[in-house]
Amino acid sequence: MNGIEVTLISGRTARQGIGLEEGKTSQGYIKSVNEVSLCPEDAASLGLSGDEPVTVATEHGSVVAHWRVDKGLARGTAFFPYGPWANQVYASSTDGTGMPQFKGIRATLSPAAGGKVPSLQEIVESMRRAEH
Amino acid sequence: MKHEDVVCPFCGCLCDDLEVTVEDGHIVGVKNACGISRSKFMSHGLNRVSAPTVEGKEASLEEAVRESVGILSGARRPLVYGLSSTECGAISKAVELAEATGGVLDNTSSVCHGPTILALQQVGESKATLGEIRNRADLIIFWGSNPTEAHLRHITRYSGTAKGMYVPEGRKGRRIIVVDVRETGTSKMADQFIKVEPNGDFELLEALRATVRGVALRAEAVAGVPMDQVRALAEVMKGARFGVVFFGLGLTQSEGRHMNIDAAVGLVAELNRHTKFLLTPMRGHYNVAGANAVTTWQTGYPYAVDFSRGYPRYNPGEYTSVDMLARGEADAALVLASDPASTFPVDAARGLAKIPVITLEQKITPTSMLSRVVIPVATAGIEAEGTAYRMDGVPIRLRKLVEPTEGVHSDEEVLGMILEGLKGGAEK
Repeated sequence: MNGIEVTLISGRTARQGIGLEEGKTSQGYIKSVNEVSLCPEDAASLGLSGDEPVTVATEHGSVVAHWRVDKGLARGTAFFPYGPWANQVYASSTDGTGMPQFKGIRATLSPAAGGKVPSLQEIVESMRRAEH
Repeated sequence: MKHEDVVCPFCGCLCDDLEVTVEDGHIVGVKNACGISRSKFMSHGLNRVSAPTVEGKEASLEEAVRESVGILSGARRPLVYGLSSTECGAISKAVELAEATGGVLDNTSSVCHGPTILALQQVGESKATLGEIRNRADLIIFWGSNPTEAHLRHITRYSGTAKGMYVPEGRKGRRIIVVDVRETGTSKMADQFIKVEPNGDFELLEALRATVRGVALRAEAVAGVPMDQVRALAEVMKGARFGVVFFGLGLTQSEGRHMNIDAAVGLVAELNRHTKFLLTPMRGHYNVAGANAVTTWQTGYPYAVDFSRGYPRYNPGEYTSVDMLARGEADAALVLASDPASTFPVDAARGLAKIPVITLEQKITPTSMLSRVVIPVATAGIEAEGTAYRMDGVPIRLRKLVEPTEGVHSDEEVLGMILEGLKGGAEK
């Protein structure tokens, strides 16, 4: 697999804040949280181009997401806005604190050859299906 | 009609200088608002929950309340969660409801500044109002926080560029330093950006503390920051007239969690041997500080409160929502003013999908999609009044600007209906 190791950081963005006030089902919100940011050099090393999405994987889970370039990120660091997509890869373990670790997680990014970014409804359905 | 000095119910800044124009019962304009606040006021009618539902089918409010009462009275370990984006009257009612069900009460601080609370309970805090900071602070440090994305008017109103009584020059009279793992909008407008390695905050805070104390460390660099820079920063901090650390989830959600805050408090305590220094958490939801305040004055504890023995017990890590849901311990949930299906890691969100959930919401969310009962509620600060606590603990009164849709009630009123049903059932 043509992947790279990164440290994954989650966080807020203004776009996400504006989007969530339109509604979680709005395109503004969905587009603000279903993409991961990485530096131009990492995007180039993965051979990413156009609309091809990426797979973000941790030892806990994986998700296919859109990507964008952020020149402010260093090599080996990726940013994933808080939201249903990012939460597919985080563990629920809190080490007795109540708080899961949303920042500073080891993850792998790789081109999602032929993969499709799940819709909000698909993510909700996958949560439902997990009960059976 | 023009409403002046309106309070924005989005983030912990609770900006109280908005101008909102209402025509024919609709908001048609907002002034002084940031982009998120503008979206909140102008889009508050979009994507709303149109009617109460039970099992996805439209129901009357009475039916939805009756179903909610049935779910909660049949549950052995119900979880009441959320609270942070509503007003204090509703929070108070939620405490009462959690007690009546013998369940567990938790708010969103368990996944934002819960670790901050854990640390401050251990080591105390040195704090001030945002007004005092605006008027006096000449050194502002944003550590693991990024107000240009999350608290958009913080820098202009309270911390960075605001002109204060003893800082009449505004931005020129303040030095702004950002410590973060990545370059951000805030770091770009700062005088200095110190880049710390991911999960390296604890080491850097302790190295700074030791340096301020006069200990000569033999390391060449700490958490990716050269010791020369650490020593220079310590001197800048000691030399400030009035310094403040505004810290964010960069500290609470990375490795170390509450121990990072413990280290930050230790650093600030050490600095107070030299000058006036304090620290303030950048609270996210506009009334998460109120959720902690109300829960504390009613139960003695700020979050993660268990009523199963008939009296409140507190244990983050055990009675916190992510843990309860991931363990499969909660067998029903009442969610208000938050969207845990979007904000919790997937295993905890799946835990929510396995149990009957009652959601009080304005808008359609992944949590409402997973819920057995959904009851639409009015938006506090727009369609209902109430009180909220700013990030510095100052209570501010929210206004009602427009009427909610007919038949839609406030969080407090709906919780009251469910509570009445529970009490009625208990008496029979």
